Amino acid sequence: MARIGVFVCWCGSNIAGTVDVKRVAEEAAKIPGVVEAVDYKYMCSDPGQNTLRKMIKDKNLTGVVLAACSPHMHENTFRKAAVKEGLNPYFIEIANIREQVSWVHEDKEKATEKAIDLLKMMVEKVKKNKAIEDVRVPLTKKALVIGGGISGIQAALDIANGGVEVILVEKEPSIGGKMIQLDETFPTLDCSSCIMTPKMVEVYQHPNIKLYTYSELEEVSGYIGNFNVKIKKKARSIVEKDCTGCGDCWNICPMHKNVKSEFNVNLSERTAIYVPFPQAVPLIPVIDRSVCLHYKKGGKCQKCYDACGPKCINFDLQDEIIEEKVGAIVAATGYDLMENSLYGEYGYGQFKDVISGLQFERLLSASGPTEGVVKRPSDGKTPETIVFIQCVGSRDPEKGVPYCSKVCCMYTAKHAKLFAHKVHGSQSYVFYIDIRATSKGYEEFVRGTMENEGAIYLRGRVSKIYEDNGKLIVKGADTLSGNQVEIAADMVVLATGVIPKKGSDKMAQMLGISYDKYGFYTESHPKLRPAESSTAGIYLAGMAQGPRDIPESVVSGSAAASKILGLFSKSEYEVEGTIASVNKTTCVGCFYCRRVCAYSAISKEEIKDRNGNVLKVVANVNSGLCAGCGACVNACFSKSIDLKGYLDEQIFAEIKSLAV
Amino acid sequence: MEKMNDKLQNTAKELLENKEVNLIIGFTKGSNPLRMRSVFITDPNDVSKLSFNAHCVQDLAVFLKKPEVKKFGKIGLVVKGCDEKAVNTLIQEYQLSRDNIKIIGVECRGAVKQNLADKGEDSVKQSTVYDKCLVCEVHTPLLYDYLVESDEPAFEINGDIKPYAKIEELDAMSVEDRNMFWQKEFEKCIKCYACRQACPLCYCTRCIVEKNTPQWIETNIEETGNAQWNMIRAYHLSGRCIGCGECERACPVNIPLMLVNEKMARDVFEKFGYKSGVDINAKPVFGTFDANDFNEFIK
Repeated sequence: MARIGVFVCWCGSNIAGTVDVKRVAEEAAKIPGVVEAVDYKYMCSDPGQNTLRKMIKDKNLTGVVLAACSPHMHENTFRKAAVKEGLNPYFIEIANIREQVSWVHEDKEKATEKAIDLLKMMVEKVKKNKAIEDVRVPLTKKALVIGGGISGIQAALDIANGGVEVILVEKEPSIGGKMIQLDETFPTLDCSSCIMTPKMVEVYQHPNIKLYTYSELEEVSGYIGNFNVKIKKKARSIVEKDCTGCGDCWNICPMHKNVKSEFNVNLSERTAIYVPFPQAVPLIPVIDRSVCLHYKKGGKCQKCYDACGPKCINFDLQDEIIEEKVGAIVAATGYDLMENSLYGEYGYGQFKDVISGLQFERLLSASGPTEGVVKRPSDGKTPETIVFIQCVGSRDPEKGVPYCSKVCCMYTAKHAKLFAHKVHGSQSYVFYIDIRATSKGYEEFVRGTMENEGAIYLRGRVSKIYEDNGKLIVKGADTLSGNQVEIAADMVVLATGVIPKKGSDKMAQMLGISYDKYGFYTESHPKLRPAESSTAGIYLAGMAQGPRDIPESVVSGSAAASKILGLFSKSEYEVEGTIASVNKTTCVGCFYCRRVCAYSAISKEEIKDRNGNVLKVVANVNSGLCAGCGACVNACFSKSIDLKGYLDEQIFAEIKSLAV
Repeated sequence: MEKMNDKLQNTAKELLENKEVNLIIGFTKGSNPLRMRSVFITDPNDVSKLSFNAHCVQDLAVFLKKPEVKKFGKIGLVVKGCDEKAVNTLIQEYQLSRDNIKIIGVECRGAVKQNLADKGEDSVKQSTVYDKCLVCEVHTPLLYDYLVESDEPAFEINGDIKPYAKIEELDAMSVEDRNMFWQKEFEKCIKCYACRQACPLCYCTRCIVEKNTPQWIETNIEETGNAQWNMIRAYHLSGRCIGCGECERACPVNIPLMLVNEKMARDVFEKFGYKSGVDINAKPVFGTFDANDFNEFIK
């Protein structure tokens, strides 16, 4: 026999102002099975919770219904109070009469009626509730970090320093990501490689970090605490343990003029056997088989092999698949820049001296193709006038990027400043829409570029660029003065928009995490769970989530790491017990449930007789993966799946309570 | 016809003799010369019973869901193109392993409506065949291990054919009128579930109508329960029904079930570009989600 206690919360005047709480309690007391119904000013307060606990104990309650705020707010508070009195936490139900009643209605009479109805529904539901045990999942205390840019490196180091083993997977031959390509960083102008390389080396030397470069994630299965990952270690054609990084191989490679350097964003060439940059970590070359003569010409060329002292070049090495078991994953896959070629009007690709911001970084960098001397690509002359164009692609719904790329305002100000430092007497013009400089020291930095370095900022867009007599003529609008402007520039730098890394959607699908329409990974909650993905055990960091600058990327890497260290500080992971369960007697194994499950939580289970013959194959819910969304319940034709805590029977009871 | 039957019988014989299958399900002559019935053959010497003609109406794929048939393991099935789509769907929905079935596809020129055959009609013509035969795209089955070619000519189609013409008529009706039409039809339902039993794709061992905690469908014969049953049946088959028409043929009170099935199939094709039973590796339309799916109904 049900013995249900009802508590109607006033929430101060939040509820009591619009709902006649006394009447709700009186009506509740009349419902069969309700032993007592009371109202109280703040149920979530200490005395409120004590009233709840006292009634559970004194009246030996089998169920509790609170008419209060959204269960998102205090369900846990009340569940904990119930547990203290020995009641299973899932015997607590909440009728949301604040967000769904008092806050959205004005007519007190009608609001009270609705509150009573909602309460009745929950009373009928709680009568059908069953005790649910939370699911405990074992944890493999090892983490996988995908992406060796600054945020991935930060995450890996923080986790490793917390005493946990980390596997860091990087697609490129070296870690360092985009940050290692940058020259100096805003707003402090410290040299990017000076602050980045120590971290890269630390990763390489860390006893808790296993680094796989030139490797890609191939497959992910499993769930929080128990992921199985397959990593494809692409063949470098080098026996890594023997390589000393001496450089004899790449210095002798005959293919030195044909391949554009990815690291220098096509501003220089590299060899077929190469390290992307001198401080690469690991300092082990890789043979680009798509251009190497050995592979193209049937083994004729082996100059690198002949030059190699320790003979560590092996042309026959194959890709390797490495399997690892990890308990948590950080997705820090980074970003790309929009193709400049999208902007015909700016002449990128057509005019050699129209370059991207990242290319300009390489021109500024001491390790770049010009060794830090600003020279324009067409004729190697030092430019005296540069036009910088911001928001190339960003904030332009026409080009599919309506969002702000966030870093361009700052790096353009930095570019103008560094240009002024390097080429005295030069002049910068910056076309902008708005200046966004909102972090510590940023506004001052931009001001400095304008006021101390004399960069001329023009609010408006550029309509056309054409070449005339060795100059690039930039036509644009200065909307503040209302004039059309025409600038004869030696070089134009485009601040192109930030987009997710190519293939990030595929990566998200492999990981089973959600992503937005642009391909950026979405957070579990944009404000309160910014480091977590939609899937338990998978965390996010860096630009893969959206445009952000270096400090923010570092913070996000550390945030993901702290979440993982927190997760691993427990012996087991506890999952809410409100998950799907299969009636294996009636399941016929059509697996529509498996097809619709966004969490890959449903697997096939063979039902066998005592001789081991398979009688049938049915669906099985993996409690570690199931998020309790209920999609499978909908998909099941024979209604052989039910969601614990939201059983069909409970929902029916709720609906029937409304029938007069 | 003789040539066809010879090939049919020889194929079956070979399969049984070589132990490639343990059971052949096919058609044989019924008690009335213009009626064919199903036959189950395990002995190679019995293959002479197998026969095929324009009166082979039944979708034999329905037997594949029966436990007493399943226990034979490897099965050979004589099947027309339309019904073969049911085999594809069963494989697609994990109810049948491709390795366990030998599909003896027969080229079909059209099936004579049984009610006409019962009155003596024996010719395959535009006016005598089922609606599904008029728009048949699978005279040759899509998937087969053995093909028995037809030695009959195709029937001629003259003029504008409008199979299931009633659908357009119903679409043009007001919601109230359409509702009235179906209320009247469903009123006749006696909940015998013959539609379910005849359907090759209604393979649940515990049908939703038999679930009683909670009870989803009123089981007594009255307005609500009748409508619930017929609508849920149609929904459970939308995007799955291969249009064999067995439910309608089995219905003792002549509810035009194919109108609902065909309407659902047309909608599914229109909204999602999906046709059922075509590809054993396709993802069923209600088992997939695509960001480009039609979703104007979500406001």
